[in-house]
Amino acid sequence: MPPEASPSLPHGLSRRGLLSAAAVAVGATVASPLLSACSGKKSGGPGTTSKSDVDRALPAYLANNSVNADVPSVTGVNGAISDPCFLSYPTSPVTTVSGLVGSGGSYTTMTPLWGAIPASSGNAYYATVNKAIGATLKLQPSDGNTYGDALPPVFAANKLPDWIMIPGWLNVQLNLGEAMTTQFADLTPYLAGDKAKQYPNLANVPPAAWAAGVWDGKLYGIPSYPSAAVFNGAYFYRKDLLDSAGVSVTGFKSADDLAGLGKELTNAKGGVWAFDDLFGQSAAYVSQLFQFPNHWGIDGSGKLIYKYETEGIVEALNWYVKLVKAGYVHPDAIANNNQNAKQRFWSGKVLIQVDGTGAWDGLDAQSGVAANPGYVRQALPLLSPDGAKPPTIELGNGAAMFSYLNKKLSAAQIKECLAIANYLAAPYGSAEWLKVNFGDEGVDYTMKDGNPVLNAQGNKEVATTFQFLACPPAATVPKNGFTQVAKDYAAWQGDAVKHAVKPLFFDMNIAEPSQYSAINKPVDDTIDDVRFGRKPISAFTDAVDTWRKQGGDALRTFYDGIRSKYGTGQ
Amino acid sequence: MSAITEDGAAPGASREAARAGAPAARRTRWWVRLRRDRSLLIMTAPAVLLLAVFTYVPIAGNVSAFQSYDIYQGFRGSAWVGLTNFVNLFGDRIFWHAFENTLVISAVQLILYFPIPIVLALLLNSVLNSRVRSFVQAVVYLPHFFSWVLVVTIFQEMLGGAGVLNTILRRHGLGVWNVMTDPTTFKYLVTAQAVWKEAGWGIIVFLAALAAVDQSLYEAAAADGANRWRRLWHITLPGMRGVIVLMLVLRLGNALTVGFEQMLVQRQAVGRDASEVLDTFSYYYGVAANNFSYGAAAGLFKGVLSLILVLAANRLAHAFGEDGLYRR
Repeated sequence: MPPEASPSLPHGLSRRGLLSAAAVAVGATVASPLLSACSGKKSGGPGTTSKSDVDRALPAYLANNSVNADVPSVTGVNGAISDPCFLSYPTSPVTTVSGLVGSGGSYTTMTPLWGAIPASSGNAYYATVNKAIGATLKLQPSDGNTYGDALPPVFAANKLPDWIMIPGWLNVQLNLGEAMTTQFADLTPYLAGDKAKQYPNLANVPPAAWAAGVWDGKLYGIPSYPSAAVFNGAYFYRKDLLDSAGVSVTGFKSADDLAGLGKELTNAKGGVWAFDDLFGQSAAYVSQLFQFPNHWGIDGSGKLIYKYETEGIVEALNWYVKLVKAGYVHPDAIANNNQNAKQRFWSGKVLIQVDGTGAWDGLDAQSGVAANPGYVRQALPLLSPDGAKPPTIELGNGAAMFSYLNKKLSAAQIKECLAIANYLAAPYGSAEWLKVNFGDEGVDYTMKDGNPVLNAQGNKEVATTFQFLACPPAATVPKNGFTQVAKDYAAWQGDAVKHAVKPLFFDMNIAEPSQYSAINKPVDDTIDDVRFGRKPISAFTDAVDTWRKQGGDALRTFYDGIRSKYGTGQ
Repeated sequence: MSAITEDGAAPGASREAARAGAPAARRTRWWVRLRRDRSLLIMTAPAVLLLAVFTYVPIAGNVSAFQSYDIYQGFRGSAWVGLTNFVNLFGDRIFWHAFENTLVISAVQLILYFPIPIVLALLLNSVLNSRVRSFVQAVVYLPHFFSWVLVVTIFQEMLGGAGVLNTILRRHGLGVWNVMTDPTTFKYLVTAQAVWKEAGWGIIVFLAALAAVDQSLYEAAAADGANRWRRLWHITLPGMRGVIVLMLVLRLGNALTVGFEQMLVQRQAVGRDASEVLDTFSYYYGVAANNFSYGAAAGLFKGVLSLILVLAANRLAHAFGEDGLYRR
């Protein structure tokens, strides 16, 4: 089972990195998938909201700490807080929702799924959750990899379901800012401030997650996989194989420390290369090493600059092309065969890779151990360009994915859906969480070493579906019995939050003028040409000059306006 | 052999006999003909329906090329912008580069790919052992059913930097041959992939044409002392000419379609400069950038050019005295 099909999505945010990896594989993203913050159509129409207006639209926050974490959250800097880690499920789970949930309504839904899509008819898992919520959610997951292509026809044909999940990285592609007022229900009257208290599990979702669901001063989105430690990726290594080669990464500080492993670990004759792709589509991952923003940033003089205009990206290109030319990068990675990157890592053909943080869990460990019994995935320490500066890691929005209710629903129907969302958002450790994520004990799962594990039927029936409509705050939990993996991940996250930086326009939805939607593609293509050694670095600077003329400078003026009017979100 | 010829309905020679009765049929009343041909009509109905739903109805979507199409407004609500999309398109350097790539790859494929199914069909036709022939046919047909992703993966596993060939070269200290990531030879690579995947399937129609050649002609020629080459030149090839010309006309009509998936999958391996074709241009700058009108304009341009090409090729076929797509 691919990790995405997991029912108990682990570290919520990490999933975004996973997804961005998927997007890289199909090459379908216009810009970086991380540009989830802005959207819109025409010349900066509706969308952006000032901080004070956002605060007015947000639900009240009532934290539920009824279950004590085995590894408690670490509060880092800039609002980053690591997810709590639980090593075993409470033996007598608490009930967080009492009385009737739904009132027998029936709702169509649309959610993406990265993995095998289970049969809808005769699905005991779907049936038991629908029974518990007292309503019928008709689940029809669509292929996550082509979800962005499937949505425009749905909108154009006016076939919007009652409840739909739209990942934030599609906001720009879909001009979602334009859709908000015309297509989706405004949830502000139902959830703003103390009104959220009638939905205690929704009130347990932190405000930073809700904030990215606010458009034009109104709350539209229900967060899926909220977390205050959303990082797009981490650099991973095969600890078992590096240990047996006598190589240690302890004390690694700089990108050059990492590059230095290339010669030592590559054995092309033996079919082993040190590195898989370390760059990411549109520099999405390497920006972490060279400390440039994934979108807009501010230079030393206070001027807005895009990632293409930073010194960091030029350094990154020069750094990476050397690794490629020296032959330290696996040839399949250079040929963009990214869908097999995990297999290369599992089988030990590459020893160092970068991936979404969601790649690091018990499902990955199971696949890795199947290929190679000693398999251990570990993350490198956070690195900086020269080792002198402290490392940083960019914090993502409080939630990367949001679900929306159809505007055509009546007030009573919206209330029923929110009551259902409240059930689905029951926190880890509750009876409801177990039901939503695993179905019924003995039917779809069994308890093993204190944790729920899907059985054969569960593997066929259970998939991430309801969770995409509403979700509790992310928690790190063991999967398939790999307790150590959960502990390691929690430890890494606990360290990463101490180095978190908020990007410009954090948690803000901005309606970017749509006429510039294609200007990034030629630059991203040139980045690929340069990093794989097909063109000199001057080709990149030329492409950036063209980008400025084609709309880059106009966008800078646009974002300057946003900055002076609404602030930076930091 | 027989099963295969029936599959690939042979145009050309074998149709001649059927057509002889056509003028007489035209004089019969339409309902008489309807009743007479009803089973044939019922058999074609599903294909006509599919064609209508998936080919003819979507043609209407070309109006978006003259709009600033917005998914939330639909065709009715989107603003009309006249020829703006085309003006922008014709001023777009990337578009013309994609157009050039398409023509170059198409030309290479025409020269290096087109003759191969003909030669294969001739070779296969000369194999007398029917078991061997069926086996070879099955083997060469099979890749047609693979997806492009799979084909490219197989090529990568064989010829890629970590593939079988380069592993052997490396072990023997012979360097590496990076054919999968070399932009300069990309057009030959995609042609080789197309040959591997489709040439076997392409022989069906030529085998059918070969089966339609009158065997007594060979016997007569052999009796007159013609050797194999003279029989091939004077009997086989003239017998296949109608079909070859028809396939050439169809190929020219498709000259601007050089494989979307195949290019998409390998784009990053060789870069945009070598791999961007009209179809991928429409995808990246139309669909993926939510600029559907721009993509539709590029698609419409391609469609009109393809129509002109196919009509021109058809006229050329008529000039050479062949049927082409239809008889004059």
